Amino acid sequence: MDSPLLSVRGLHKSFGNRPVLKGVDFDVRAGELLAFLGANGSGKSTTLRCVMGIAQPDAGVIAVGGDDLGSLPWRQLQEARRRTAMIFQKIHLVPRRTALDNVCAGALARIPTGRSLSPLFFPRSVQQEALECLDRVGLADRAFDRVGRLSGGQQQRVAVARALCQRADIVLADEPVSALDPHAAEQVMALLQHLAHVEKLAVAAVLHQPDLALRRADRCIGLLHGATAFDLPSSEVDAAQLDALYAPDRVVAT
Amino acid sequence: MAVVAVVVLHALAIQGTGFEPGLLVDGWKGMAAFVADAFPPDLSWDKTIRPGLEATLVTLWIGLLGTTFSVPFALLLAVLASRSTAPHRLVYQGARAVLSFFRAVPDIVFALIFVTAVGLGPFAGVLALICHNTGVMGKLWAESMEESDAGPQEALRTAGANRIQQVANATLPMVVPQFVGLLLYRFDVNVRSSLVLGLVGAGGIGLLINQSIKSFRFDSMLTHIIIVLVLIIVVDQFSAWVRRKLAA
Ligand SMILES: Nc1ncnc2c1ncn2[C@@H]1O[C@H](COP(=O)(O)OP(=O)(O)OP(=O)(O)O)[C@@H](O)[C@H]1O
Ligand SMILES: [Mg+2]
Repeated sequence: MDSPLLSVRGLHKSFGNRPVLKGVDFDVRAGELLAFLGANGSGKSTTLRCVMGIAQPDAGVIAVGGDDLGSLPWRQLQEARRRTAMIFQKIHLVPRRTALDNVCAGALARIPTGRSLSPLFFPRSVQQEALECLDRVGLADRAFDRVGRLSGGQQQRVAVARALCQRADIVLADEPVSALDPHAAEQVMALLQHLAHVEKLAVAAVLHQPDLALRRADRCIGLLHGATAFDLPSSEVDAAQLDALYAPDRVVAT
Repeated sequence: MAVVAVVVLHALAIQGTGFEPGLLVDGWKGMAAFVADAFPPDLSWDKTIRPGLEATLVTLWIGLLGTTFSVPFALLLAVLASRSTAPHRLVYQGARAVLSFFRAVPDIVFALIFVTAVGLGPFAGVLALICHNTGVMGKLWAESMEESDAGPQEALRTAGANRIQQVANATLPMVVPQFVGLLLYRFDVNVRSSLVLGLVGAGGIGLLINQSIKSFRFDSMLTHIIIVLVLIIVVDQFSAWVRRKLAA
Protein backbone atom coordinates (compact mmCIF):
# COMPACT_ATOMS: atom_id res chain seq x y z
CA MET A 1 0.00 0.00 0.00
CA ASP A 2 1.29 3.48 -0.81
CA SER A 3 2.40 5.78 1.95
CA PRO A 4 -0.19 8.16 3.49
CA LEU A 5 -0.53 11.72 2.18
CA LEU A 6 -1.46 12.93 5.63
CA SER A 7 -0.19 11.26 8.75
CA VAL A 8 -0.94 12.38 12.31
CA ARG A 9 0.68 10.86 15.40
CA GLY A 10 0.21 11.56 19.09
CA LEU A 11 -1.64 14.85 18.67
CA HIS A 12 -2.10 16.62 22.02
CA LYS A 13 -3.88 19.89 22.67
CA SER A 14 -5.13 21.58 25.83
CA PHE A 15 -7.21 24.71 26.23
CA GLY A 16 -6.08 26.26 29.50
CA ASN A 17 -5.50 23.25 31.75
CA ARG A 18 -8.26 21.19 30.13
CA PRO A 19 -6.84 18.54 27.78
CA VAL A 20 -8.96 18.24 24.63
CA LEU A 21 -6.75 16.02 22.47
CA LYS A 22 -4.91 13.23 24.26
CA GLY A 23 -3.08 11.39 21.53
CA VAL A 24 -4.92 11.32 18.23
CA ASP A 25 -3.44 9.09 15.49
CA PHE A 26 -4.61 8.61 11.94
CA ASP A 27 -3.45 8.36 8.33
CA VAL A 28 -5.19 9.35 5.12
CA ARG A 29 -4.02 7.91 1.81
CA ALA A 30 -4.56 9.17 -1.70
CA GLY A 31 -7.74 7.66 -3.10
CA GLU A 32 -9.28 7.18 0.33
CA LEU A 33 -12.33 8.70 2.01
CA LEU A 34 -12.03 8.74 5.78
CA ALA A 35 -14.81 9.58 8.23
CA PHE A 36 -14.36 10.94 11.74
CA LEU A 37 -17.07 9.97 14.18
CA GLY A 38 -17.47 11.07 17.76
CA ALA A 39 -19.74 12.77 20.24
CA ASN A 40 -19.97 16.55 20.61
CA GLY A 41 -16.82 17.86 22.23
CA SER A 42 -14.76 14.74 21.49
CA GLY A 43 -12.18 16.87 19.65
CA LYS A 44 -12.97 16.28 15.97
CA SER A 45 -12.93 19.96 14.95
CA THR A 46 -9.88 20.65 17.09
CA THR A 47 -8.03 17.81 15.33
CA LEU A 48 -8.78 19.27 11.90
CA ARG A 49 -7.94 22.80 13.07
CA CYS A 50 -4.54 21.60 14.31
CA VAL A 51 -3.82 19.93 10.97
CA MET A 52 -4.83 23.13 9.13
CA GLY A 53 -2.60 25.27 11.34
CA ILE A 54 -5.56 27.30 12.65
CA ALA A 55 -4.85 25.89 16.13
CA GLN A 56 -1.39 25.11 17.48
CA PRO A 57 -0.99 21.55 18.85
CA ASP A 58 0.96 21.15 22.10
CA ALA A 59 2.59 17.92 20.96
CA GLY A 60 2.45 15.43 18.14
CA VAL A 61 3.61 15.01 14.58
CA ILE A 62 1.68 16.13 11.51
CA ALA A 63 3.25 14.95 8.27
CA VAL A 64 2.11 15.94 4.78
CA GLY A 65 3.53 13.80 1.98
CA GLY A 66 5.96 12.35 4.48
CA ASP A 67 7.35 15.72 5.63
CA ASP A 68 6.91 16.66 9.29
CA LEU A 69 5.34 20.14 9.26
CA GLY A 70 7.12 21.00 12.50
CA SER A 71 10.55 20.74 10.86
CA LEU A 72 9.87 22.33 7.47
CA PRO A 73 11.40 25.68 6.47
CA TRP A 74 8.86 28.43 5.84
CA ARG A 75 8.62 28.06 2.04
CA GLN A 76 8.04 24.33 2.13
CA LEU A 77 5.58 24.76 4.98
CA GLN A 78 3.55 27.14 2.82
CA GLU A 79 3.64 24.57 0.03
CA ALA A 80 2.48 21.81 2.40
CA ARG A 81 -0.35 24.03 3.65
CA ARG A 82 -1.37 24.76 0.08
CA ARG A 83 -1.86 21.01 -0.38
CA THR A 84 -4.41 20.87 2.47
CA ALA A 85 -7.82 22.49 2.02
CA MET A 86 -10.67 22.76 4.48
CA ILE A 87 -14.45 22.58 3.92
CA PHE A 88 -16.61 24.07 6.66
CA GLN A 89 -20.09 23.29 7.93
CA LYS A 90 -21.01 26.94 7.56
CA ILE A 91 -19.51 26.96 4.05
CA HIS A 92 -17.81 30.36 4.48
CA LEU A 93 -18.23 31.65 0.94
CA VAL A 94 -18.95 35.31 0.16
CA PRO A 95 -22.68 35.31 -0.74
CA ARG A 96 -22.53 38.57 -2.73
CA ARG A 97 -19.87 37.29 -5.11
CA THR A 98 -20.36 34.88 -7.97
CA ALA A 99 -19.55 31.21 -7.66
CA LEU A 100 -16.66 31.74 -10.07
CA ASP A 101 -15.14 34.60 -8.04
CA ASN A 102 -15.43 32.53 -4.86
CA VAL A 103 -13.70 29.58 -6.49
CA CYS A 104 -10.92 31.84 -7.83
CA ALA A 105 -10.26 32.91 -4.22
CA GLY A 106 -8.95 29.40 -3.57
CA ALA A 107 -6.04 30.29 -5.85
CA LEU A 108 -5.11 33.55 -4.08
CA ALA A 109 -1.83 32.08 -2.85
CA ARG A 110 -0.59 32.04 -6.45
CA ILE A 111 -2.09 35.39 -7.53
CA PRO A 112 0.11 38.47 -7.01
CA THR A 113 -1.37 40.71 -4.30
CA GLY A 114 -1.82 43.60 -6.75
CA ARG A 115 -4.00 41.48 -9.01
CA SER A 116 -6.10 40.09 -6.18
CA LEU A 117 -7.64 43.37 -4.99
CA SER A 118 -10.72 42.77 -7.13
CA PRO A 119 -12.04 39.79 -9.12
CA LEU A 120 -11.80 42.08 -12.17
CA PHE A 121 -8.02 41.74 -12.07
CA PHE A 122 -7.83 37.95 -11.49
CA PRO A 123 -5.62 36.38 -14.19
CA ARG A 124 -7.44 34.67 -17.05
CA SER A 125 -5.67 31.39 -16.38
CA VAL A 126 -7.03 31.32 -12.81
CA GLN A 127 -10.56 32.04 -14.00
CA GLN A 128 -10.25 29.28 -16.57
CA GLU A 129 -9.06 26.85 -13.92
CA ALA A 130 -11.84 27.92 -11.55
CA LEU A 131 -14.38 27.22 -14.26
CA GLU A 132 -12.93 23.74 -14.69
CA CYS A 133 -13.15 23.18 -10.93
CA LEU A 134 -16.81 24.21 -10.99
CA ASP A 135 -17.31 21.78 -13.83
CA ARG A 136 -15.77 19.00 -11.72
CA VAL A 137 -18.40 19.60 -9.00
CA GLY A 138 -21.16 19.80 -11.62
CA LEU A 139 -21.87 23.52 -11.32
CA ALA A 140 -20.29 25.02 -14.45
CA ASP A 141 -23.70 26.36 -15.48
CA ARG A 142 -24.02 28.36 -12.24
CA ALA A 143 -20.56 29.98 -12.45
CA PHE A 144 -21.91 33.50 -12.86
CA ASP A 145 -24.68 33.28 -10.26
CA ARG A 146 -24.19 34.94 -6.92
CA VAL A 147 -23.48 32.31 -4.27
CA GLY A 148 -26.28 33.71 -2.12
CA ARG A 149 -28.75 32.60 -4.79
CA LEU A 150 -27.61 28.96 -4.72
CA SER A 151 -29.05 26.26 -2.48
CA GLY A 152 -27.11 25.04 0.54
CA GLY A 153 -26.00 21.89 -1.24
CA GLN A 154 -24.85 23.84 -4.28
CA GLN A 155 -22.98 26.27 -2.04
CA GLN A 156 -21.13 23.41 -0.36
CA ARG A 157 -20.15 22.08 -3.79
CA VAL A 158 -18.83 25.55 -4.68
CA ALA A 159 -16.75 25.38 -1.49
CA VAL A 160 -15.38 22.01 -2.68
CA ALA A 161 -14.55 23.62 -6.03
CA ARG A 162 -12.66 26.35 -4.17
CA ALA A 163 -10.61 23.65 -2.44
CA LEU A 164 -9.89 22.10 -5.85
CA CYS A 165 -8.83 25.49 -7.23
CA GLN A 166 -6.36 25.64 -4.35
CA ARG A 167 -4.87 22.52 -6.05
CA ALA A 168 -5.17 20.69 -2.76
CA ASP A 169 -4.67 16.94 -2.72
CA ILE A 170 -5.77 16.63 0.89
CA VAL A 171 -9.31 17.79 1.63
CA LEU A 172 -10.51 18.01 5.23
CA ALA A 173 -14.20 18.65 5.83
CA ASP A 174 -15.75 19.56 9.18
CA GLU A 175 -19.39 18.45 9.14
CA PRO A 176 -19.77 19.30 5.44
CA VAL A 177 -23.36 18.02 5.30
CA SER A 178 -24.76 18.87 8.74
CA ALA A 179 -26.70 21.87 7.42
CA LEU A 180 -27.97 20.10 4.30
CA ASP A 181 -31.14 18.16 3.56
CA PRO A 182 -30.74 14.38 3.01
CA HIS A 183 -30.69 14.65 -0.77
CA ALA A 184 -28.11 17.45 -0.87
CA ALA A 185 -26.08 15.61 1.78
CA GLU A 186 -25.95 12.50 -0.42
CA GLN A 187 -24.87 14.63 -3.38
CA VAL A 188 -22.03 16.26 -1.45
CA MET A 189 -20.92 12.91 0.01
CA ALA A 190 -20.99 11.37 -3.47
CA LEU A 191 -18.81 14.25 -4.66
CA LEU A 192 -16.29 13.71 -1.84
CA GLN A 193 -16.29 9.99 -2.64
CA HIS A 194 -15.66 10.79 -6.29
CA LEU A 195 -12.74 13.07 -5.38
CA ALA A 196 -11.18 10.25 -3.37
CA HIS A 197 -11.89 7.25 -5.57
CA VAL A 198 -11.65 8.77 -9.05
CA GLU A 199 -9.48 11.87 -8.68
CA LYS A 200 -7.28 10.14 -6.08
CA LEU A 201 -7.34 12.87 -3.43
CA ALA A 202 -7.05 12.12 0.27
CA VAL A 203 -10.36 13.13 1.86
CA ALA A 204 -11.30 13.16 5.54
CA ALA A 205 -14.71 14.32 6.75
CA VAL A 206 -16.22 14.77 10.20
CA LEU A 207 -19.72 13.31 10.07
CA HIS A 208 -22.51 13.15 12.62
CA GLN A 209 -24.47 10.55 10.63
CA PRO A 210 -22.93 7.09 11.28
CA ASP A 211 -25.06 5.47 8.58
CA LEU A 212 -23.82 7.96 5.99
CA ALA A 213 -20.24 7.42 7.15
CA LEU A 214 -20.48 3.62 7.00
CA ARG A 215 -22.04 3.76 3.56
CA ARG A 216 -19.72 6.31 1.95
CA ALA A 217 -16.39 6.19 3.76
CA ASP A 218 -13.70 3.58 3.25
CA ARG A 219 -12.53 3.85 6.82
CA CYS A 220 -13.96 5.26 10.03
CA ILE A 221 -12.10 6.75 12.95
CA GLY A 222 -13.90 7.00 16.26
CA LEU A 223 -12.78 9.76 18.58
CA LEU A 224 -13.60 9.42 22.28
CA HIS A 225 -12.55 12.11 24.77
CA GLY A 226 -9.77 13.33 22.51
CA ALA A 227 -8.20 9.98 21.66
CA THR A 228 -8.62 7.51 18.82
CA ALA A 229 -11.04 4.84 20.04
CA PHE A 230 -11.09 2.81 16.83
CA ASP A 231 -9.71 3.00 13.30
CA LEU A 232 -11.40 0.42 11.11
CA PRO A 233 -12.60 -0.24 7.58
CA SER A 234 -16.23 0.83 7.47
CA SER A 235 -17.40 -2.75 6.97
CA GLU A 236 -15.90 -3.75 10.31
CA VAL A 237 -17.50 -1.02 12.44
CA ASP A 238 -20.33 -2.52 14.50
CA ALA A 239 -23.14 -1.16 16.61
CA ALA A 240 -21.33 -1.81 19.88
CA GLN A 241 -18.43 0.39 18.82
CA LEU A 242 -20.79 3.18 17.82
CA ASP A 243 -22.68 2.84 21.09
CA ALA A 244 -19.45 3.23 22.99
CA LEU A 245 -18.78 6.52 21.13
CA TYR A 246 -22.20 8.01 21.64
CA ALA A 247 -23.23 6.16 24.85
CA PRO A 248 -25.53 8.31 26.99
CA ASP A 249 -23.50 7.55 30.13
CA ARG A 250 -20.34 9.04 28.68
CA VAL A 251 -18.71 11.82 30.65
CA VAL A 252 -19.74 14.97 28.84
CA ALA A 253 -16.60 16.94 28.03
CA THR A 254 -17.61 20.53 28.58
CA MET B 1 -29.77 54.05 44.83
CA ALA B 2 -29.66 54.47 41.05
CA VAL B 3 -32.81 56.61 41.21
CA VAL B 4 -31.20 58.89 43.80
CA ALA B 5 -28.11 59.24 41.62
CA VAL B 6 -30.20 60.17 38.57
CA VAL B 7 -32.18 62.74 40.57
CA VAL B 8 -29.01 64.30 42.00
CA LEU B 9 -27.39 64.44 38.55
CA HIS B 10 -30.45 66.19 37.14
CA ALA B 11 -30.54 68.70 39.99
CA LEU B 12 -26.90 69.54 39.31
CA ALA B 13 -27.56 69.80 35.56
CA ILE B 14 -30.55 72.10 36.03
CA GLN B 15 -28.46 74.37 38.20
CA GLY B 16 -25.51 74.23 35.82
CA THR B 17 -27.52 75.20 32.74
CA GLY B 18 -29.66 77.89 34.36
CA PHE B 19 -32.72 75.92 33.32
CA GLU B 20 -35.66 78.26 34.15
CA PRO B 21 -39.04 77.64 32.47
CA GLY B 22 -40.31 80.91 33.98
CA LEU B 23 -38.10 82.89 31.61
CA LEU B 24 -39.79 81.20 28.67
CA VAL B 25 -43.22 82.24 29.95
CA ASP B 26 -42.09 85.83 30.45
CA GLY B 27 -40.36 85.92 27.11
CA TRP B 28 -43.25 84.68 24.99
CA LYS B 29 -43.94 88.21 23.75
CA GLY B 30 -40.48 88.46 22.22
CA MET B 31 -40.95 85.12 20.50
CA ALA B 32 -44.36 86.11 19.22
CA ALA B 33 -42.93 89.33 17.78
CA PHE B 34 -40.14 87.35 16.17
CA VAL B 35 -42.59 84.93 14.54
CA ALA B 36 -44.87 87.81 13.49
CA ASP B 37 -41.90 89.51 11.82
CA ALA B 38 -41.10 86.30 9.93
CA PHE B 39 -44.57 86.12 8.36
CA PRO B 40 -45.21 86.28 5.55
CA PRO B 41 -41.94 84.79 4.25
CA ASP B 42 -40.09 86.98 1.77
CA LEU B 43 -40.75 85.41 -1.63
CA SER B 44 -38.93 87.90 -3.83
CA TRP B 45 -37.03 85.84 -6.39
CA ASP B 46 -33.98 88.02 -6.93
CA LYS B 47 -33.38 89.12 -3.37
CA THR B 48 -34.16 85.96 -1.42
CA ILE B 49 -35.17 82.81 -3.28
CA ARG B 50 -32.47 82.68 -5.96
CA PRO B 51 -29.55 83.43 -3.60
CA GLY B 52 -31.14 80.95 -1.17
CA LEU B 53 -31.27 78.18 -3.79
CA GLU B 54 -27.72 78.87 -4.92
CA ALA B 55 -26.43 78.81 -1.36
CA THR B 56 -28.39 75.61 -0.67
CA LEU B 57 -26.66 73.96 -3.59
CA VAL B 58 -23.32 74.99 -2.07
CA THR B 59 -24.41 73.45 1.24
CA LEU B 60 -25.26 70.23 -0.57
CA TRP B 61 -21.87 70.23 -2.35
CA ILE B 62 -20.06 70.74 0.96
CA GLY B 63 -21.91 67.79 2.48
CA LEU B 64 -21.25 65.64 -0.59
CA LEU B 65 -17.51 66.30 -0.88
CA GLY B 66 -17.09 66.15 2.88
CA THR B 67 -18.53 62.64 2.76
CA THR B 68 -17.00 61.18 -0.40
CA PHE B 69 -13.50 62.64 0.00
CA SER B 70 -13.26 61.11 3.47
CA VAL B 71 -13.92 57.61 2.09
CA PRO B 72 -10.29 56.65 1.30
CA PHE B 73 -9.02 57.88 4.67
CA ALA B 74 -11.90 56.28 6.58
CA LEU B 75 -11.45 53.00 4.70
CA LEU B 76 -7.73 52.78 5.38
CA LEU B 77 -8.12 53.66 9.06
CA ALA B 78 -11.11 51.32 9.46
CA VAL B 79 -9.14 48.36 8.12
CA LEU B 80 -6.25 49.20 10.46
CA ALA B 81 -8.58 49.81 13.42
CA SER B 82 -10.66 46.64 13.13
CA ARG B 83 -9.62 43.70 15.26
CA SER B 84 -10.32 41.25 12.46
CA THR B 85 -8.16 42.98 9.84
CA ALA B 86 -5.46 44.96 11.67
CA PRO B 87 -1.95 43.73 10.83
CA HIS B 88 -0.64 44.27 14.37
CA ARG B 89 -1.93 45.16 17.81
CA LEU B 90 0.10 48.37 17.92
CA VAL B 91 -1.22 49.48 14.52
CA TYR B 92 -4.71 48.71 15.76
CA GLN B 93 -4.24 50.86 18.87
CA GLY B 94 -2.65 53.67 16.85
CA ALA B 95 -5.40 53.73 14.23
CA ARG B 96 -8.07 53.75 16.91
CA ALA B 97 -6.36 56.70 18.60
CA VAL B 98 -6.26 58.64 15.32
CA LEU B 99 -9.95 57.92 14.70
CA SER B 100 -10.85 58.96 18.24
CA PHE B 101 -9.06 62.26 17.77
CA PHE B 102 -10.85 63.14 14.52
CA ARG B 103 -14.15 62.07 16.04
CA ALA B 104 -13.64 63.98 19.28
CA VAL B 105 -12.87 67.32 17.62
CA PRO B 106 -16.23 68.74 16.43
CA ASP B 107 -16.49 69.66 12.75
CA ILE B 108 -17.20 73.27 13.72
CA VAL B 109 -13.81 73.49 15.46
CA PHE B 110 -12.12 72.07 12.38
CA ALA B 111 -14.02 74.67 10.34
CA LEU B 112 -12.74 77.54 12.49
CA ILE B 113 -9.18 76.21 12.11
CA PHE B 114 -9.49 75.82 8.33
CA VAL B 115 -11.09 79.25 7.93
CA THR B 116 -7.91 80.76 9.33
CA ALA B 117 -5.87 78.62 6.93
CA VAL B 118 -7.77 78.86 3.63
CA GLY B 119 -10.06 81.80 4.36
CA LEU B 120 -13.84 82.12 4.62
CA GLY B 121 -15.84 79.99 2.21
CA PRO B 122 -17.09 76.52 1.34
CA PHE B 123 -13.62 75.02 0.89
CA ALA B 124 -12.94 75.37 4.62
CA GLY B 125 -16.26 73.61 5.27
CA VAL B 126 -15.36 70.70 3.00
CA LEU B 127 -12.00 70.25 4.73
CA ALA B 128 -13.65 70.37 8.14
CA LEU B 129 -16.20 67.72 7.22
CA ILE B 130 -13.54 65.47 5.69
CA CYS B 131 -11.62 65.51 8.97
CA HIS B 132 -14.53 64.91 11.30
CA ASN B 133 -16.29 62.44 9.04
CA THR B 134 -13.13 60.35 8.62
CA GLY B 135 -13.16 59.86 12.38
CA VAL B 136 -16.83 58.94 12.65
CA MET B 137 -17.18 56.83 9.51
CA GLY B 138 -13.86 55.05 10.13
CA LYS B 139 -15.08 54.03 13.58
CA LEU B 140 -18.48 52.87 12.31
CA TRP B 141 -16.92 50.89 9.46
CA ALA B 142 -14.31 49.29 11.74
CA GLU B 143 -17.09 48.16 14.06
CA SER B 144 -19.19 46.72 11.28
CA MET B 145 -16.17 44.69 10.12
CA GLU B 146 -15.62 43.39 13.64
CA GLU B 147 -19.27 42.34 13.86
CA SER B 148 -19.36 40.66 10.48
CA ASP B 149 -18.95 36.90 10.00
CA ALA B 150 -15.23 36.05 10.22
CA GLY B 151 -15.72 32.66 8.55
CA PRO B 152 -14.97 33.64 4.94
CA GLN B 153 -11.79 35.41 6.03
CA GLU B 154 -10.63 32.35 7.95
CA ALA B 155 -11.41 30.16 4.95
CA LEU B 156 -9.13 32.26 2.73
CA ARG B 157 -6.42 32.28 5.37
CA THR B 158 -6.39 28.48 5.41
CA ALA B 159 -6.21 28.57 1.60
CA GLY B 160 -2.96 30.52 1.92
CA ALA B 161 -4.18 34.04 1.08
CA ASN B 162 -2.21 36.87 2.67
CA ARG B 163 -3.79 39.51 4.89
CA ILE B 164 -4.47 42.05 2.13
CA GLN B 165 -6.00 39.33 -0.07
CA GLN B 166 -8.21 38.18 2.81
CA VAL B 167 -9.47 41.72 3.41
CA ALA B 168 -10.09 42.45 -0.28
CA ASN B 169 -11.77 39.13 -1.06
CA ALA B 170 -13.65 38.23 2.11
CA THR B 171 -13.91 40.89 4.80
CA LEU B 172 -14.79 43.90 2.63
CA PRO B 173 -17.19 42.18 0.22
CA MET B 174 -19.03 40.80 3.27
CA VAL B 175 -19.74 44.30 4.64
CA VAL B 176 -20.56 46.26 1.46
CA PRO B 177 -24.26 46.76 2.35
CA GLN B 178 -23.44 47.96 5.87
CA PHE B 179 -20.72 50.28 4.52
CA VAL B 180 -23.04 51.87 1.97
CA GLY B 181 -25.80 52.25 4.55
CA LEU B 182 -23.43 54.04 6.94
CA LEU B 183 -22.08 56.18 4.10
CA LEU B 184 -25.59 57.38 3.24
CA TYR B 185 -26.35 58.04 6.89
CA ARG B 186 -23.19 60.14 7.16
CA PHE B 187 -24.08 62.04 3.97
CA ASP B 188 -27.41 62.88 5.54
CA VAL B 189 -25.74 64.08 8.74
CA ASN B 190 -23.02 65.97 6.87
CA VAL B 191 -25.48 67.97 4.78
CA ARG B 192 -27.09 69.13 8.01
CA SER B 193 -23.68 69.81 9.59
CA SER B 194 -22.64 71.92 6.62
CA LEU B 195 -25.61 74.20 7.41
CA VAL B 196 -24.15 74.86 10.83
CA LEU B 197 -20.67 75.29 9.37
CA GLY B 198 -22.14 78.09 7.21
CA LEU B 199 -22.92 79.96 10.41
CA VAL B 200 -19.19 80.23 11.20
CA GLY B 201 -18.29 81.41 7.72
CA ALA B 202 -17.88 78.19 5.76
CA GLY B 203 -20.34 79.29 3.07
CA GLY B 204 -23.68 77.88 1.99
CA ILE B 205 -27.20 78.58 3.17
CA GLY B 206 -26.12 78.70 6.82
CA LEU B 207 -24.22 81.88 6.02
CA LEU B 208 -27.35 83.48 4.49
CA ILE B 209 -29.49 82.53 7.48
CA ASN B 210 -26.91 84.07 9.77
CA GLN B 211 -26.88 87.27 7.69
CA SER B 212 -30.67 87.63 7.62
CA ILE B 213 -30.84 87.21 11.41
CA LYS B 214 -28.13 89.83 11.90
CA SER B 215 -29.95 92.30 9.63
CA PHE B 216 -33.34 91.52 11.28
CA ARG B 217 -34.74 90.20 7.97
CA PHE B 218 -36.71 87.40 9.64
CA ASP B 219 -38.99 87.09 6.61
CA SER B 220 -36.08 86.09 4.36
CA MET B 221 -34.78 83.88 7.15
CA LEU B 222 -38.06 81.98 7.08
CA THR B 223 -37.79 81.53 3.30
CA HIS B 224 -34.30 80.15 3.68
CA ILE B 225 -35.42 77.76 6.42
CA ILE B 226 -38.19 76.48 4.16
CA ILE B 227 -35.63 75.86 1.41
CA VAL B 228 -33.45 73.99 3.92
CA LEU B 229 -36.41 71.89 4.94
CA VAL B 230 -37.00 70.90 1.31
CA LEU B 231 -33.30 70.05 0.89
CA ILE B 232 -33.30 67.82 3.95
CA ILE B 233 -36.44 66.01 2.84
CA VAL B 234 -34.93 65.44 -0.62
CA VAL B 235 -31.66 64.09 0.81
CA ASP B 236 -33.58 61.84 3.16
CA GLN B 237 -35.73 60.44 0.35
CA PHE B 238 -32.65 59.89 -1.78
CA SER B 239 -30.90 57.90 0.99
CA ALA B 240 -34.00 55.80 1.54
CA TRP B 241 -34.26 55.12 -2.19
CA VAL B 242 -30.63 53.98 -2.50
CA ARG B 243 -30.98 51.76 0.56
CA ARG B 244 -34.08 50.15 -0.93
CA LYS B 245 -32.23 49.50 -4.19
CA LEU B 246 -29.38 47.99 -2.25
CA ALA B 247 -31.59 45.66 -0.27
CA ALA B 248 -33.31 44.40 -3.41
N1 LIG C 1 -10.80 27.87 21.18
C1 LIG C 1 -11.18 27.09 22.22
N2 LIG C 1 -11.01 27.51 23.48
C2 LIG C 1 -11.38 26.73 24.53
N3 LIG C 1 -11.93 25.53 24.42
C3 LIG C 1 -12.14 25.05 23.17
C4 LIG C 1 -11.77 25.81 22.01
N4 LIG C 1 -12.09 25.09 20.91
C5 LIG C 1 -12.62 23.93 21.37
N5 LIG C 1 -12.65 23.90 22.72
C6 LIG C 1 -13.14 22.79 23.54
O1 LIG C 1 -12.54 21.61 23.11
C7 LIG C 1 -13.45 20.53 23.16
C8 LIG C 1 -13.48 19.84 21.82
O2 LIG C 1 -14.07 20.72 20.88
P1 LIG C 1 -14.25 20.37 19.36
O3 LIG C 1 -14.86 21.55 18.71
O4 LIG C 1 -12.97 19.85 18.81
O5 LIG C 1 -15.29 19.18 19.45
P2 LIG C 1 -16.04 18.44 18.28
O6 LIG C 1 -15.70 17.01 18.39
O7 LIG C 1 -15.78 19.10 16.99
O8 LIG C 1 -17.55 18.65 18.72
P3 LIG C 1 -18.85 18.94 17.83
O9 LIG C 1 -19.38 17.61 17.42
O10 LIG C 1 -19.78 19.62 18.79
O11 LIG C 1 -18.44 19.81 16.70
C9 LIG C 1 -14.77 21.09 23.58
O12 LIG C 1 -14.99 20.81 24.94
C10 LIG C 1 -14.63 22.58 23.37
O13 LIG C 1 -15.36 23.30 24.33
MG1 LIG D 1 -16.92 20.30 15.64
